[in-house]
Amino acid sequence: MDDIFLESKDVTLLEILDRVLDKGVIISGDIVISLADVDLIYAGLRVLLSSVETMERLRGAPFASPMQEPG
Amino acid sequence: MKQKESLIYLYCVTKRKPDRVVIDALTGSISAPGEVREGMPRPFVDEVQEKIYPIYSQGLYAIVTMVSPIEFGEEGLKNNLANMKWVEKNVRRHEMVVENIMENMTVLPFKFGTIFKTEDGVKKMLAERGADFKKTIAFLEGKGEWGVKIYCDFKKFAASAIKEDKETKDLDEEISASGKGKAYLLKKKQDELIKSVVTQKVSGYTRDSFERLKRTSLEAKINKTLPKEVTEKDEDMVLNAAFLIDKNRVKAFDDVLERLKTEYSDKGLVFEGSGPWPPYNFCLPKIYDRRRMHERVT
Repeated sequence: MDDIFLESKDVTLLEILDRVLDKGVIISGDIVISLADVDLIYAGLRVLLSSVETMERLRGAPFASPMQEPG
Repeated sequence: MKQKESLIYLYCVTKRKPDRVVIDALTGSISAPGEVREGMPRPFVDEVQEKIYPIYSQGLYAIVTMVSPIEFGEEGLKNNLANMKWVEKNVRRHEMVVENIMENMTVLPFKFGTIFKTEDGVKKMLAERGADFKKTIAFLEGKGEWGVKIYCDFKKFAASAIKEDKETKDLDEEISASGKGKAYLLKKKQDELIKSVVTQKVSGYTRDSFERLKRTSLEAKINKTLPKEVTEKDEDMVLNAAFLIDKNRVKAFDDVLERLKTEYSDKGLVFEGSGPWPPYNFCLPKIYDRRRMHERVT
């Protein structure tokens, strides 16, 4: 591939959700995901992340990744 | 009718027929044992063979897979969307399939969870929208989507903004020279001032970054910024942008991004670039948007 990956494409779930949930071609298929469903998924992600954070804290491990050095 | 049993999940539409090897490899990687993670609640195991295949109609290929009505039917889907593990597995699969097809040809990616009851439904949709899809694919040929998110460390930013701002510095002197009551009010005034200086500067730098990146692109789009609760970052997201870049301009785009990183790093801005993505943000090119609206009116 001649494309350069700007950053490693170890894609976070968020990066994918940010694109596939409410972008892309939107048509009225027989079954579609509504905007309310999209909100539901983000709420789920929030819960998932905060529970991971809580778990890490309980284990005493620093959850926050080191601040990325820009450039 | 066999199809009554299962539903048709649509990933993307292409103009060329995807290589069978690619399709078979995808099908293999998707239904490979071990893919299903532990702790997946039922109903999860697919009863339908998850074979990926193209449906041809109107000179276009719809890349689809059969899915279980238990999992993807209206009721099942609603339940599964509340299950983050299910969502993660399936959105990653959606992305993986589209990205693999994209390696060899231009794709028109569909929104996650576009499901048809029958193959005829897919064909009908291609008949209705096919002309637009073909134009869009032709427009997207040789181009890729790149994402840039900018995050801001407001504390670091405020610290550097104060140093540069004369008015806040003058207030510092006044505060230390004032009595307790007046100092309190002045401090409050200073905080407000810092806040407005920071907001103004951050939005100025962000706009500058966006405009400079935009110049290397064919189209650019600003999306909603996402809250900290979902970004898992210490910094706040201040820009969430997507750019449609000609393949020959990727280097230019990357150069601008690198320059921005260097320029703004000491100010507390963090840049994150990613790509190439399927063109999720550019499935409705502006040039056709306007014409389509016009067509509808006439």
